[in-house]
Amino acid sequence: MADIEIRDVSKRFGPVTVFDGLSLSVESGEFMVFLGPSGCGKSTLLRMIAGLESVDGGEIRIAGTRVDTLPPGARRVAMVFQHYALYPHMTIFENMAFGLRNIGLKQPEIDQRVQGAARTLEIVELLQRKPGQLSGGQRQRVAIGRAIVKEPRAFLFDEPLSNLDAALRVRTRVELARLHRRLRATMIFVTHDQVEAMTLADRIVVMNEGRIEQVGTPMEIYTRPATKFVARFVGVPAMTFLDAMVVGQGGGEQGGAVLRLPDGTELRTPVPADGLPAHQPITLGLRAEAVRIDGQGSTLGTVEVVERLGDRTHLHVRLQDGSTLIAEDAGLSGVAVEDRVALRIDPAAVHLFGADGVGRHAAA
Amino acid sequence: MVTATATGRTIERTRRLGGARVGPDWRNVGFVLPFLIVYLALLVWPLFDGIWISLQKFDMFDGTGAYAGLANYKRLFADKIFLGAVWNTALFVLMTVPAFVAIGLVLALALNRPTRMAAALRATFFATSVLSVTIVTIVWKMMYLPDRGLLTNVLGAFGQAPIPILSDPSLALPGIAVATVWWGIGLPMMLFLAALQQIPRELYEAAALDSAGRWRSFRHITLPSIRRTVVLVAVIEIVYQFQLFGQSYLLTRGGPNNASRPIVQFIYEQGFRNWDLGYAAAASEVLFGLMLIAAMAQYLLTRRRAEG
Amino acid sequence: MTAITAAQPRQGMVGRSLGDRLILWAVILLAVIWVVPVAWITGLSFKPNSELMTDTGTLFRAPYTLKNYTDILANSGVFRWVLNSVVVSLGQTLGVLVLASLAGYGFARAQFPGRGIVFALVLIGLAVPEQAVIIARFQMFNDLKIHNSYLGLILPHLSAPFGVFLMTQYFKAIPRELDEAALLDNASRFKTFWRVLLPLTVPAQATLGIFTFLSSWNDYLWPLISATKPEMFTLTVGLASTQTNFAQSEGLGYLMAQSVFAGLPVLIVYLFFQKYIVTAVAGAAVR
Repeated sequence: MADIEIRDVSKRFGPVTVFDGLSLSVESGEFMVFLGPSGCGKSTLLRMIAGLESVDGGEIRIAGTRVDTLPPGARRVAMVFQHYALYPHMTIFENMAFGLRNIGLKQPEIDQRVQGAARTLEIVELLQRKPGQLSGGQRQRVAIGRAIVKEPRAFLFDEPLSNLDAALRVRTRVELARLHRRLRATMIFVTHDQVEAMTLADRIVVMNEGRIEQVGTPMEIYTRPATKFVARFVGVPAMTFLDAMVVGQGGGEQGGAVLRLPDGTELRTPVPADGLPAHQPITLGLRAEAVRIDGQGSTLGTVEVVERLGDRTHLHVRLQDGSTLIAEDAGLSGVAVEDRVALRIDPAAVHLFGADGVGRHAAA
Repeated sequence: MVTATATGRTIERTRRLGGARVGPDWRNVGFVLPFLIVYLALLVWPLFDGIWISLQKFDMFDGTGAYAGLANYKRLFADKIFLGAVWNTALFVLMTVPAFVAIGLVLALALNRPTRMAAALRATFFATSVLSVTIVTIVWKMMYLPDRGLLTNVLGAFGQAPIPILSDPSLALPGIAVATVWWGIGLPMMLFLAALQQIPRELYEAAALDSAGRWRSFRHITLPSIRRTVVLVAVIEIVYQFQLFGQSYLLTRGGPNNASRPIVQFIYEQGFRNWDLGYAAAASEVLFGLMLIAAMAQYLLTRRRAEG
Repeated sequence: MTAITAAQPRQGMVGRSLGDRLILWAVILLAVIWVVPVAWITGLSFKPNSELMTDTGTLFRAPYTLKNYTDILANSGVFRWVLNSVVVSLGQTLGVLVLASLAGYGFARAQFPGRGIVFALVLIGLAVPEQAVIIARFQMFNDLKIHNSYLGLILPHLSAPFGVFLMTQYFKAIPRELDEAALLDNASRFKTFWRVLLPLTVPAQATLGIFTFLSSWNDYLWPLISATKPEMFTLTVGLASTQTNFAQSEGLGYLMAQSVFAGLPVLIVYLFFQKYIVTAVAGAAVR
């Protein structure tokens, strides 16, 4: 397996610049997820690694060797496409053997590799069928099998789960995780679905408009989002944002920021206040699990919407000044619409974003 | 399953890593080159060579040509037979194109249904299109034969005198037109059918809920939707019918009295009977020009009407 | 709501079905009229020549004869014409399929500098009618001495841009992912064409092939000019050459039989390949 290094890479499509000086390292054997909304460039970056898009500036190295000048076949990477891209007129066996024939492998070795991959993916009985006769999930496994037989240095996945129905998606996710553990392969996975990213990744690269917003483990991304964008993108339900103001220091043991919330109440937080302008509006980010119903809570509001999920309940609460918070309560919560409730915000779980969009959080 | 050593050994054994590249590559020209060679040699070159030939006066006996400027064209525009041919061709186009559009549309409207009967009928009307011009002219000559043709037999059954269509200067061209429409109605019908099937059913259903009768539905939904196809069919047929040759050559030889000689027959006779190749080439360039003008005019005219 | 929807169809349907049925019967009548000419010719082909010299109204009465058809079978000229047509049409079809498939892939998928301009150049050729190039071609083939040969009959129509246009559109419609998968599978450009994309174009090949075969079979002007020796006549030209003295001809029945003989195979092919033929002809016209 190989590590992948992207150094200072730029990409233009005509007058539009997609990337400008982007750098990233993927460690050998790591499951890296490129996460971002459509158009952020994640697929383009993946395709540049594969060699399906040219690199306009900078270099890409795999296992130390420069690959951005090589044709796709020579880079020894395998790709699983969004729509699988199986050759419709060839049998499954032929689909998997095609690439191996092209590099001159002899039939016995081809047989061995194809049968091996088929056993791993449990598609042995499908080998003589054609793609048109297979279900979506089966085709996906064949696409993965085609990648495995190449014994590549890295696996590239381009939104492979987006064509599956919800139940199949969950099952396939688990299978992919198992596969990664088994092969110990370097895998790069592109998706816009943050649940896939959170559950599969060793590390996530959150991208937006051609820029890397943050690189980190799933929990890092979740608990310490570097920017407002990352905070909003990851997590369900999405983080709520309120306009607040820093009115002083001295919260927590380290003397973190003291905030005035839009409804006038104050909150003492352990979040370091350096760099935050005093008496200027900043953005306060709260996840639902940081806001709870508490009789002694200082934030008052009226419940507008109640969403019951079974294991927990999300309450959309309108505060006195009109802004809305999402609070979390137990699954069997008895709160109803139009109830007046008091909320308690956990000061340690608060995220502050200045005008620069950079996130500040309590010390871990 | 996948081990480092296996991978290492594989690399050594296979030297054929490479494959194609993405992006522009000179070697890819190889795919279009065979066609391009044929295209340039047999279409582009003759196109320009034809213009060159049209500027030369050819000697009938030794086949050599001498540069003569626009002499051929000047001669053409003074040539009564040529002008007659242009007139005949224009007349023919005016006779056939509206018939193709109207009859094709009516047939398409009537047969736009999924029944087996409709499919059989559509097949019938299209079947004539696959016959060669030779067969079509034999058929229609047999129809029009003054003493023994089917037309005469039918007229005779009603006690009427035979009508010599192909030997009557004013009836010859219309006679050819009828045979041509019989021959080629399949294409316009199919094009209109395809267009009609593109109209979303919901439009008609909404109209039905709005209590629109059949005629109103037709006028306000069907007609506007197929306007572009009407233009298309008209342009196509204009282009085809300007090239009239086989039917007239085989049915009437251009007679009687040059009443049915089209431009292409003129070209054929000048070029391959009189061997005046330059003259024939000039006539062919005039034909080309006329076709372009006519097709363009039709297109622009209907575009303007549609927008206005 | 239900009242309205119930009333409408009932009302509409009654008026509809009457008008519809009238139109349908009118069309059926028209179709019968459409078929009459061909039916008549076929009928006449079974009548003896001698009778037809004076009277053609005896269709529904004896005598009938098969002599016209046996005469065809005895006449070697016709078979030669059929052979020529088969060779030329097959040759042209094969040539067009090969050239158009290669070029279609090239224009659709294989990038090279100036591809767009070259493609536009080829498209413009769609507007050029045969007559504008026929005289120059004639001269050229004269100089190359390939008139009255299969090569001379096959070559000209290989330059028609229609096939290239059709195949280019078809290749473009194939998802790019397949190309990309082949690239990553270490396939060369040609291998990608030959083993991955070309097999997926079979419907287009069938359409183009049948269309080319048919238009080649029925071609009149060029074979008339280029094949002047009777042994090189194609069926269309050969059949036309026997038409010259129609009215005075002693062989009306024979002529009718010849037309049936020539037309029947085409009609049979049509019946079987209807779908492809219709698609092709419509596609060709739309350019």
